[in-house]
Amino acid sequence: MQVIAHGRLTLYETYGQFQMVVNVIEEAGVGDLERAFQKLKEKLGKEGLFEVEHKQALPAYAFRIAVVTSPTGAAVRDIIATLSRRWPCSEILVVPVRVQGDLAAGEIVRALEQIPRAGAVDLVILGRGGGSLEDLWAFNEESVARAIHACPLPIISAVGHETDVTIADFVADVRAATPTMAAEIAVPNVDDVFSTVVESQRRLGRNMKARLDGVRSKIQELLKSYALGQIRNRIQSQLQTYDYAIEKLQRNMIDRIARCGVRLDGFVARLKGLDARAVLSRGYAICADFETGKGVQTVDGALLAGNLRVTFSDGSVLSEVKERVDE
Amino acid sequence: MSEKSKNFEESMKRLEAIVTELEKGDFSLEESLQRFEEGLKLGKSCKEILEKAEAKVKTLVEDSEGTLREEDASP
Repeated sequence: MQVIAHGRLTLYETYGQFQMVVNVIEEAGVGDLERAFQKLKEKLGKEGLFEVEHKQALPAYAFRIAVVTSPTGAAVRDIIATLSRRWPCSEILVVPVRVQGDLAAGEIVRALEQIPRAGAVDLVILGRGGGSLEDLWAFNEESVARAIHACPLPIISAVGHETDVTIADFVADVRAATPTMAAEIAVPNVDDVFSTVVESQRRLGRNMKARLDGVRSKIQELLKSYALGQIRNRIQSQLQTYDYAIEKLQRNMIDRIARCGVRLDGFVARLKGLDARAVLSRGYAICADFETGKGVQTVDGALLAGNLRVTFSDGSVLSEVKERVDE
Repeated sequence: MSEKSKNFEESMKRLEAIVTELEKGDFSLEESLQRFEEGLKLGKSCKEILEKAEAKVKTLVEDSEGTLREEDASP
């Protein structure tokens, strides 16, 4: 065990020894309050009040902020000053409470119950300036811890200085090191948000202008080198095609008629060549079945027909087929 | 969260989304123009909210009957 002893220190010069006369002795680090703090912390911790799953996210843009603190302390001034500077478009609702003494815990609990009824509050800052462990004690009371836990609104705790840690800090959704820090966490900087909006608008404008410029030059391109020219060219080329088609049609007709003439002449010549009489006059004769008139080209055909019509160049005769003769 | 806070956050998100969408350039000219106009409107209303007034400070007080009242406490 470590202890802190208060007393008088004396030096025995003869022996070179120090001597201490102790009048108060206490356990080092852990006083009554400290013990109570540890006990409550352990109890609420076991109940899960500090769990991350209970932590609410802070709104990105809080427009009505309740500040639960003493209306006369430095904390409220710091918070109001910081909120007004960073985010002047917000409304600050001070909920005055005592922050030390026996009545403090009860008032804080009551304030946390009232705020949700006040309407449209986005965020609660609960805190006070620095002080001794006794001064800050209200923020280590179980009732306060439970009220913070039960409050449906997001709560930033800001109790004392950076090194002061209270039960309230564990239960709150966010712990800020100081009241000023709480206000910094609570709201964004209006200039930053404004610049973001302006930059977005600028980007929109730039983008739309580029888009429209693109469209405009496309239209001009179309007007100049494409659309009108294309239509004119198309009409012209269609006209040409039309003329050409007609010309071609006419030329084709003439050609075809001429070609038909040539072919006709050919036929006439060929027919002339085919004229059997020209052959007959050269000493040939045509044999045909006398009954049917069909041409007979073989010996068997002649034997079958029996009677043949034999045509010479000057006329025909009826002849009877008697028998095959060997040559 | 208050309606105002919710609406403002939604407007900011929408504005950002529109800028990103437009820069991707997937929209037809007509759609782009619609988005552009929507974006400008959102930006304007956001700016109006941001420009509005100095921070108002009020004090919440409860009377004996438990009714809550807000008193002007601007310094």
